[in-house]
Amino acid sequence: MDDMSSHYQVMEELGSGSFGVVYKAIDKTDGEIVAIKHIDLESSEDDIQEIQQEISVLATCASPYVTQYKASFLKGHKLWIVMEYLGGGSCLDLLKPGCFNEAHVAIVCRELLLGLDYLHSEGKIHRDVKAANVLLSQTGKVKLADFGVAAQLVNIKSQRNTFVGTPFWMAPEVIQQAGYDFKADIWSLGITAIEMINGEPPHASTHPMKVLFLIPKNPAPRLEGNEYSNTFKDFIAQCLTKDPDLRPSAKELLRHKFVRNAGKPEALQELIHRKQDWDGGRGETKDVKYYAESLNTMTRPEDLDDDDWVFDTVKPPPMFKPKGTDWMTFDEEEENAPDPTQMLEDMHISAPPPPPKHQANSTVRRVPTDRSPSVRRANTKRRSSGVKQPLGLDLSYGNSPSTVRQFRRVSDKVPTDLNPAKHGFDENQSPKTVATDTSSKEAQIGRRAYSKAVGMSCQEVLSTTGDGDKREAISRLAEAWSDLEMVDPEGLYHIVRIMNEKLQADSRLSTLLPSTQPDSPSRPRLVLAQNNPHLKSHRRRQSYVPEPQPQSPPSVPAQAAPGMEHTKQLSDVLYQRWSEGLRNRWGGF
Amino acid sequence: MAFFFNRGRSRQPADIVRTTKELLSRIHDSQNAPKAEEDLAKQLSQMKVIVQGTPEVPPSVDQVHALVQATIQEDLLFDLSRSIHLLPFEARKDTQTVFSHILRFRPTSYAAEKDPPVISYLVHHRPEIIVELCRGYMQSQSAMPCGVILREALKFDVITAIVLYDQSNEGESAIRLSDVKPNQRQRGDGVFWRFFDWIDKSCFEVSADAYTTFRDILTRHKSLMTSYLATNFELFFARFNNILIHSDSYVTKRQSIKLLGEILLDRANYNVMMAYVESGDNLKLCMKLLRDDRKMVQYEGFHVFKVFVANPNKSVAVQRILINNRDRLLRFLPKFLDDRTDDDQFMDEKSFLVRQIELLPKEPVDRTRPTRDSPSAHTAAVA
Repeated sequence: MDDMSSHYQVMEELGSGSFGVVYKAIDKTDGEIVAIKHIDLESSEDDIQEIQQEISVLATCASPYVTQYKASFLKGHKLWIVMEYLGGGSCLDLLKPGCFNEAHVAIVCRELLLGLDYLHSEGKIHRDVKAANVLLSQTGKVKLADFGVAAQLVNIKSQRNTFVGTPFWMAPEVIQQAGYDFKADIWSLGITAIEMINGEPPHASTHPMKVLFLIPKNPAPRLEGNEYSNTFKDFIAQCLTKDPDLRPSAKELLRHKFVRNAGKPEALQELIHRKQDWDGGRGETKDVKYYAESLNTMTRPEDLDDDDWVFDTVKPPPMFKPKGTDWMTFDEEEENAPDPTQMLEDMHISAPPPPPKHQANSTVRRVPTDRSPSVRRANTKRRSSGVKQPLGLDLSYGNSPSTVRQFRRVSDKVPTDLNPAKHGFDENQSPKTVATDTSSKEAQIGRRAYSKAVGMSCQEVLSTTGDGDKREAISRLAEAWSDLEMVDPEGLYHIVRIMNEKLQADSRLSTLLPSTQPDSPSRPRLVLAQNNPHLKSHRRRQSYVPEPQPQSPPSVPAQAAPGMEHTKQLSDVLYQRWSEGLRNRWGGF
Repeated sequence: MAFFFNRGRSRQPADIVRTTKELLSRIHDSQNAPKAEEDLAKQLSQMKVIVQGTPEVPPSVDQVHALVQATIQEDLLFDLSRSIHLLPFEARKDTQTVFSHILRFRPTSYAAEKDPPVISYLVHHRPEIIVELCRGYMQSQSAMPCGVILREALKFDVITAIVLYDQSNEGESAIRLSDVKPNQRQRGDGVFWRFFDWIDKSCFEVSADAYTTFRDILTRHKSLMTSYLATNFELFFARFNNILIHSDSYVTKRQSIKLLGEILLDRANYNVMMAYVESGDNLKLCMKLLRDDRKMVQYEGFHVFKVFVANPNKSVAVQRILINNRDRLLRFLPKFLDDRTDDDQFMDEKSFLVRQIELLPKEPVDRTRPTRDSPSAHTAAVA
């Protein structure tokens, strides 16, 4: 296949985020400047399908108010997505020198409404409208960007349940998961308008987990103060109507006086110039990073290893690989490997990069449409890490107003803060790390227990609780857990552990509690042999999920085979399935 | 506002369908007919309003019914399915919407458990439409809209059967549902088999969409697929291994290894799995994947490899390969992807495999038991 990447001259880095790194580039065929997003698919667990979804939403958009998609293709294990280049930066960048004035906000809002009107008429919901996702061209044109969590509805009237977006900008009905539609974007637009005029969204200093409780509970935020016009205040109030049925649509809001009287987009060039001056005035030498093809996109010749598998009776002559070319995929971790043969052996295991950093600027995506645990189990892919449970993982670490997404797309560039002088509020920045970052096994388990179980449980119960007092109590509890997780994950672990032990120990309770069925037979999971040394630790780790051991039929032929006794468990299962197959075919077996 | 709708609604669906048909034949005749393209776009967007209504006005069931009847009478779906690549951008999306709604349409009196009427019509009278939709993958302009429509249709097993069993050439009439013979082996040049090339040779967007559809075909209707794989075992896995698993495209390779694992570990495909893990060549392929230089390929490969090792009735060929490589495997596995420390299941399975390999006998043992001792393992799988 034609190497599409050679059509582009890749230049400096424009930014990086949860999705990967964005570069400026020139299309060599026509000289046009474009932006190219590089997504490293090797660092994403299971979400190729999700990325395709994003591309298909983008590729079916053609509007002057939406960033234009141009092409996508693979280069090695990187996916390149070519988009139109917008030189003005994002509204969030433009907020750094200071807040916008009302006139500017009005223009941005009108252009965004035109974009949302287009998307909504196409049956698409953006679901992550915020200043960071609004891009400006050099001439001041406003465009919606980042369709990482956008949804395509099959039916114009259908609704979504998925918990998606960035907490501070999320509409109450999205948080409550009671079904939502296009109107959710309108709420986020209202919050974005506040963000532009105030420099940050409401509740910006609150923990994002807590914000999830506050938004549905509190009255909708309002713009107050004499410095703002009444039409502006009314516009915000309209957008931030808590009942989505009463909230106006994009089309209706376009008739609002606030945006009808807005000026031309060209006026936004002032904001772009202000930012340029601000950058210049701070004497910041812009640390420009240029694209360099990373070594691991190159493929090494295969099968040169002298420890490769032996498949034939004729052993291929051992070849010694020339040094230098071999070490390129090596990671520093391998440097202490004792001897060269050892290293050769390691080679094909492709040096593991450091475990992917925890990125809070990723967007949580989860599909809680069906919250009965058994059903969720059934949908679960075979790997535990493939089903990142969102909330805890991404939110428990700090105050970053991250977009929440079920999976992480970790960029291959560690997002270092290039600009230490940068101040203010950056929603794409990594979260603060908690000072008391204990890394003991217990603490890790504690954090995991919080993110996978405790936090989620609180939220699930909350979302099914209607009574105000009860909700209040539950959210206080959730906050307390969240605090505990940050301050003392080890303690959290011990509480959960002891709680489980006590529950299990009480004969009444252990029988009364509904038992979880973690393993359905069709789930592709190996069953551990009884004598597997890891089984114990495995049980210990999952102490609160008792693993049902499959019943073994009284006599199994497979057991008779010498050397196979240890596989009893597994062979039982396989044998059962095999005999079922026979039964299906011959009935009388 | 209301004024506009009334005007739009006043045109009868039958008129719109007839006009659309004429315009379609015009753009087929002359490749460059901007006026016809523009008119077509208008007709299609009117149809879209009929089938889905607007945010303010819900669609009228009678109008939709009339539209469905007219499209069948005029055979419009066939003309649309082979013309999508000729339509302008917005019209392609409108076609996709209209088509999907028509496929799903059920008159109010229609029993919910019966397939929608258009689906039955397609499989009994006009299967060529389904085949044309598949051929949409031949052009990048039509690939994605055709893919969306196809996946909507493939929710019905009868449609999947047409895709699996059709072997018609372009221009010939396609297979009717009543002519499907599940026990007859496929030649390997039917429309289903072209998916392998569409996935392997197309540009990324088309390839990815074709893969999604391919996966739907293979995983949605279990009994259909099980019997198909049993009858066409050799042909299917030869193509799957040689084209998809060996693909140069990272995404195709990784996704198809994963799909292979899903197919093999699906309870319904037990016999297919047993036949697959009996082959030494298949094991070699998997062991090579473990040494791929991309860790997600290794990881997906592991989930196929584990089935070979876990199988209590390994064939002699498989045992021989594992025994010959025992020491290498025992050096290799403990360090294999050892950074996945928080993936408990993976770690457990890996140590389980290590134990299995340690306990392998010195020489392969022939354990074929009487019940399984039918002439060849494959015929057992085929039954």
